[in-house]
Amino acid sequence: MIRELNALTRRELLRIARNPQAIITALLLPILYLLLFGQAFNLGAVLAGPELARVLRGAPSYFSYFSAGMAGFVAVTATLFIGANVIFDRLFGVLKRTAASPATATSIFGSRLLAGSIQPIGLAFLVLGLAVLLGKLGLTGLDVTASVTPVGAAEVVLAVVILSAMFASLFLAIGFSIEQPQTYFAVVNAINLPVLLTSVALYPWGIMPVWLQNVASYNPITLAVNVLRENLFAGATAYYPYDPAVYLLGLFGWAMAMFVLATLLARRALAPRR
Amino acid sequence: MTDAITVSGLSKTFNGTVHAVQNISFNVTAGEAFGFLGPNGAGKTTTVSMLTGGLAPTAGSAVVDGVDVFHHPHEIKKRIGLVFQESTADSDLTGRENLELAAALFGVPRRTTNQTIDSLLERMQIGDAADRLAKTYSGGMRRRLELAVGIIHSPRVLFLDEPTLGLDPQGRAGFWRYVQELRKDHGMTVFVTTHYLDEADTLCDRLAIIDHGHIVATGTPSELKDRLGGDIVTVRPLRSGPDVEATLKGLPGVVSVSASDGTYRVKAPRGEELIPTLVEACTRAGVGLAGVSLKRPSLDEVFLEFTGREYREDEGMTATDRAVRVGQVQQAFGRARR
Repeated sequence: MIRELNALTRRELLRIARNPQAIITALLLPILYLLLFGQAFNLGAVLAGPELARVLRGAPSYFSYFSAGMAGFVAVTATLFIGANVIFDRLFGVLKRTAASPATATSIFGSRLLAGSIQPIGLAFLVLGLAVLLGKLGLTGLDVTASVTPVGAAEVVLAVVILSAMFASLFLAIGFSIEQPQTYFAVVNAINLPVLLTSVALYPWGIMPVWLQNVASYNPITLAVNVLRENLFAGATAYYPYDPAVYLLGLFGWAMAMFVLATLLARRALAPRR
Repeated sequence: MTDAITVSGLSKTFNGTVHAVQNISFNVTAGEAFGFLGPNGAGKTTTVSMLTGGLAPTAGSAVVDGVDVFHHPHEIKKRIGLVFQESTADSDLTGRENLELAAALFGVPRRTTNQTIDSLLERMQIGDAADRLAKTYSGGMRRRLELAVGIIHSPRVLFLDEPTLGLDPQGRAGFWRYVQELRKDHGMTVFVTTHYLDEADTLCDRLAIIDHGHIVATGTPSELKDRLGGDIVTVRPLRSGPDVEATLKGLPGVVSVSASDGTYRVKAPRGEELIPTLVEACTRAGVGLAGVSLKRPSLDEVFLEFTGREYREDEGMTATDRAVRVGQVQQAFGRARR
């Protein structure tokens, strides 16, 4: 089973690497948002000092606050293609070939989940790196004000990985249940924006209405982005009710729920047809 | 000889109303090439899907290579090779990577994987393109890659579901040559569905004809053709009527006469000897003739006989194409058709 899982995961990663357009598309939206919203919403012009710190929960600028949000959001845009690949593999017969082999449903699903969880890490750091670079180029940039410890760095990586695993599971669940690409993208688009807009990735926490704060607190993107912000900005922990480990635990719960759902649907889709 | 495939009372009904396969039974002897013929929608692919563990039956049983397919679908997948009618190779991987993936999934021992892959690439004549992405392969190369993927684990039973569909005559002949080599070298049992009756005639030891989910005939190609009662003389008289049919039926050696659209099909053991007598009898009876032609029995006639309609999959192919294809298939195997 390990050999087939390894071979299938390698196949997924090779496929991703050989289709750079998917990676570019995954980066396009977060970077575009970063350049437009991040640069335009200059809250520093209207707020300053403790009030700005309260609204942005310790982030030095809206751009810095938003950069962490987009590093989390890239987990959504990157894993979207993992689910879409299931549909295309079904259309082009690859899934049929794999299902006709002795490979278990666990390996077929697990390899896609593994690839989907690994792939966004690099992209998240690319978004953060670009955000820092913009600052060096004379624009507003990401200002990492905290000294990131090894534990903090590990928490950041873990947050992106678990968030990616959660969305990869969700998109795989949809991919294994839907046959037409257009239906898949319609469903995924109906999920993406509401998930983004009910998180703290975009909105400054301090000016969100309370009801939205309550909703956003449970949003998986929020949980991951909280971990990033607590670790990237000095003094930010004072503005968060919980340690990063608590948010990671909540995120893990989300990921497990999606994992169970996706496993059931993948097993059903790969079982002999009735 | 032991049976490689034993099918008993197999049925498949979709949505409670569509009876795709109805109570079929047959057996395939180990080492045999068994052809499963039928028009589109006859139940061929449904049968293959059931026998290879991809589709649960509504009723019946099937044992392949000694394993009950429906109780052990995972085990059966390890033992059989399967080549689909559509291309299933991964376009984003090279030919070699496709084979490496298949080797891992089918549990080919690691120490022999590279040697097995090199040997298959060589045999299928895609060694030069081994490190090119499969999306750059021609139709024939892709089919050969599919076959290589299907046999990478040296299965004892190989299922080919219309494997030459869409290939040009040369590609088809080449494909079947590889299959014949595999049979010769490994004693592999081959279960093949095909649209091309001439291929089935040349390649298969035994055939089953399926129509509307029922098996309507089984036997060797020769047996099936012999069941037709001999040659077929097609007579096109200038007029039709009961006296024409009576004249034809009264000829010595005639087995049967059937009429359709003013044309009469006369079955007789030795058609070439019948024709002079037939022309003379018609002239005597005052029946003018627009044409008379002689046809040796082929599987097309067998199909017509058992299903009541002509095999339509050659539509769109010119007579020249067909003649070229028949010639190439025969040439590939050096076997003369009857």
